[in-house]
Amino acid sequence: MTTRCAQWARSLPVSWTEVAVYLLLLALTALGLGVAVVRFMRGLGATTNLSNAYPWGIWITFDVFIVPFSAGAFTLAAVVYILNDERYHVLVPPVVLAGLLGYIMVCAVLLADLGLPHRFYNIIAFLNPESFMFEISWCVMLYTIVLVLEFSPVVLESLGWEGPHRLVRSFTVVFVSAGIILSSLHQSSLGSMWLLLQDKLHALWWTPLLPFLFLLTAIAGGLCMAILVSMLLPRAFGRPVRTHLLANLGRAVAGFLAAYGVLKLLDLLIAGELGLLFTGSTLSFLFWAELLVGVVGPVAILSQSRLRETERGLLAGASLATLGLALNRANISMFAIWRPRGTFYSPHWMEVAILVGAVAAAVLVLALAARLLPAMLGPAEEEAA
Amino acid sequence: MSKAMLIDTTRCTACRGCQVACKQWNDLPAEKTRNLGSYQNPYRLSAYTWTIIQMREVEYEGRLFWSFLKRQCMHCLHPACVSACPVGAMHKLPDGPVLYNDARCIGCRYCMTACPFRIPRFEWDKPVGYIRKCHFCFDRLAEGLMPACVKTCPTGALQFGEREEMIALAEQRLKAQPERYIQHVYGKEEGGGTSVLILSAVPFAYLGLPTLADHPVPSEQELAVPFEYLGVPSLGKEPVAKLNDDLARYGTPGIAIGVAAILAGLQWYSKRRGTGQHTGDAAAAAKESGS
Repeated sequence: MTTRCAQWARSLPVSWTEVAVYLLLLALTALGLGVAVVRFMRGLGATTNLSNAYPWGIWITFDVFIVPFSAGAFTLAAVVYILNDERYHVLVPPVVLAGLLGYIMVCAVLLADLGLPHRFYNIIAFLNPESFMFEISWCVMLYTIVLVLEFSPVVLESLGWEGPHRLVRSFTVVFVSAGIILSSLHQSSLGSMWLLLQDKLHALWWTPLLPFLFLLTAIAGGLCMAILVSMLLPRAFGRPVRTHLLANLGRAVAGFLAAYGVLKLLDLLIAGELGLLFTGSTLSFLFWAELLVGVVGPVAILSQSRLRETERGLLAGASLATLGLALNRANISMFAIWRPRGTFYSPHWMEVAILVGAVAAAVLVLALAARLLPAMLGPAEEEAA
Repeated sequence: MSKAMLIDTTRCTACRGCQVACKQWNDLPAEKTRNLGSYQNPYRLSAYTWTIIQMREVEYEGRLFWSFLKRQCMHCLHPACVSACPVGAMHKLPDGPVLYNDARCIGCRYCMTACPFRIPRFEWDKPVGYIRKCHFCFDRLAEGLMPACVKTCPTGALQFGEREEMIALAEQRLKAQPERYIQHVYGKEEGGGTSVLILSAVPFAYLGLPTLADHPVPSEQELAVPFEYLGVPSLGKEPVAKLNDDLARYGTPGIAIGVAAILAGLQWYSKRRGTGQHTGDAAAAAKESGS
């Protein structure tokens, strides 16, 4: 009921700092939208530093990082609705909304990235099923719809629309299952996409296992997103954090990351490419950074119950793993791809402004939803154990 | 049936008549260029320059070579760009050309990222840009003519004909003057084969071409070349597009069915354990999805 929302909103005191943050986010969103208008009017050459040597830039790196980071929605939904662990149900609304906002950001940035954006519907009109780009586009479109459905009960409940609410609820497991299938497909396809670059992608990263490695890191990265959202959102509104529940997710992150690390090193060993780790080149350094920050560090922290049961330990572990995921995707989509000598790329400020605008809009919507929808932060009286 | 072009770099005099012929036949505009200390001009391929003569000074076995290589789309037999394109805007004609369909393209530029020879170019200077590259003069081929560049070549460095004939011609030249050539027909097997075949006096890696994994790639120190293409990675004999296509054809439905089966199994298991009662209606829905 709207009155319930109003009561809920009143129960959270508004500070001037909060209002200032909202205004800043709003300004950044407006700037991003303005720059997007310029980009659509003047074209890619005038508004980006992309070139024939760098046909893909920071936008693609952002997309291939945000998609696995947003996987928190599907991993948490799997825990709650497929493994039927009721305890985690309270975490679902904000994480699903964060995932939905992540996918909407990716769709918006992809639209800006297209050379012929007014033709985006061709992805539906003409199909090449052998293209992983085709599979990714379709899965991302369908999964975004699934996320809308997954989040809709929270909104419908607040509006007091009982009929539609009950209808959506009765199909929850159906579209949660569809979401898990779609996620497994496109998270792995994001890795398969780089298989065609066999002669261009550095051997430390190119392996036929790429789809499986991408799926594993997406599960770990998604769980990190679930941890970070479930910690930072209540904290921002002065609500208690469910550290004990999140610690279990942290343990799962450690498990998936450890499995990934072992698999990655075994793959290099079997391919006879372990020597590449010790060449002292910039790329070998980047690989070490990715491995230490994204795998060794978080596993060391999150595998110890003493550390992961504390807010600081969880925050450190999940943040490191997220940074490692970003570095991994940046290495594969940007740094480890072979380029002609003498060509460089650093993002144009307009490329950055569009990304900042997208992120600001997402954070703003997430914060306002937490303020307006009672289900987002869970019942206040519940013990934070 | 499938046509091919043979480029004999040892016969090329770098007159660049092919560059001009290409621009004339395809109505491509001139480009403003800068002198970068080389006769190579324009310096790189672009949306408006579909072929260039790449000039390199190469030191090989104690001798200095000035090598002239015609760079253009290789018209692969299993093109990565065709597998990459989500909307099927790239396709290979049975007689050789790899073509681009303006009407389908959405401008995602995955073809540029995927191409092992780094050929497709984008019209960066336009508000709405398309991909551009050599199309093997498919319009001339359809009329029984040879590509404009081959037609104009005065020294016979470019030859055009059936792919088998071109391979036979190349191998005949290798045998007739073994001291003149590296004993390898580039493009016969590289990346599953291409419709452009190349003969050279210096190893192909020195020309900036991705070489087969079993051909040693010279180190950057060995390649004292003042040009852009260095540290060239390697290609397989199997086209990587085949790995991509097989994975897409069988992996995708495999993952979908596999994950669906796991989900159904988990549902069944948790219901049997009696933990599946988290909400009444969800459990009811589980029955529907579980079947």
